Amino acid sequence: MILVPIYQLMVCPYLEYAGATDETDRTAFDEPRAFCTVIDEFVQPMRADICNDRYELSHEYHCEIYREHTDGKDEHAAEKSE
Amino acid sequence: MSYENYLGDEPLIVTAAVTGGVHGKEANPNVPETPEEIGRAAAAVEEAGAAVIHLHARKSNGERTFSTDRFQEIDDAVREHTDDIIIQHSTGGTGASDEDRHLPLRTDPPPEMASLDMGPLNRYDHLTSENTRGLVNSLYDEMQERGIKPELEVFNDGHRNEVFGLLSRRDLDEPVYATLIFGPGTLTRPTPQNFLNAIEDLPDCALFNTLGFGRHQLPFAAMGIVFGGHIRVGLEDNVYYRRGELAESNAQLVRRSVRLADELEREVASPAQAREILGL
Ligand code: SF4
Repeated sequence: MILVPIYQLMVCPYLEYAGATDETDRTAFDEPRAFCTVIDEFVQPMRADICNDRYELSHEYHCEIYREHTDGKDEHAAEKSE
Repeated sequence: MSYENYLGDEPLIVTAAVTGGVHGKEANPNVPETPEEIGRAAAAVEEAGAAVIHLHARKSNGERTFSTDRFQEIDDAVREHTDDIIIQHSTGGTGASDEDRHLPLRTDPPPEMASLDMGPLNRYDHLTSENTRGLVNSLYDEMQERGIKPELEVFNDGHRNEVFGLLSRRDLDEPVYATLIFGPGTLTRPTPQNFLNAIEDLPDCALFNTLGFGRHQLPFAAMGIVFGGHIRVGLEDNVYYRRGELAESNAQLVRRSVRLADELEREVASPAQAREILGL
């Protein structure tokens, strides 16, 4: 069985941490940065807290990009928002 | 504060908001984030004429942190690189717990100033920074205990009511220092009429600081200078130098505002003069 740290289960599935080794031009930063694969862009540091569900923030509730992208496709999100 | 203060030759306090907590190097690679980068930015803005530096803390990947230890590292770097600049910590933090919001006040020594947000503001499409009165009271009380001067951040007209409310709940030292914030979203709409109304509607005991977001930074700085207030500029509030051209540094934005003050015949305050004006 592979153990996965709990935080990896909570973060948005569309979040990646991207750095200099990635294929696209992600070379501007010393450390990997929060990258949203829905919009194909780095996200603001404050938005990265939502992507990571920090400070009781939730990507399902608080991120309009996630909400628009899933748009009812994610049953789990739909249940929780009721 | 008014046009009379401009005519009365009160020196202008320039605050540099160098990093902020919302955007980072993805918006402008010149935003300083590490303690060393912030320390060097502090030296440059002090050299350019800023008397106050407004600080947020970041982790090494640029993301937000509220930890006392990180603020301490940043303060140490700022003090190492500067002569006399006044350190002002942000206590803002969308989503962060009330306990986290107090952490920036607990460095040793404490900052001379700290921001105190006067009420709620919307973030993105589904998020609000709450800034309840209970939190405002508790942050204010800890500032008072630790000898920290609050900078009251007034994001909109309703928040001016909250300033009067805080004055009725607590015994603030004079002069009260209020930053009037103009721009999109929850902020006061950025028009000259609203600016004039805002400065007219402050309590008599208040000095005002002027903050325009984005493209409003320059014209609102000019209005702040002419109407006897003080100004805040920097990459936290505006990543551009002019339309379509990213700012090279915080110092570049400070230098422009100092040139503007010079042309408008307003002396720029040294940190020592700023301490006197603010009653630090
Ligand atoms: S921006 Fe929204 S959709 Fe993209 S990774 Fe973050 S939470 Fe997910």
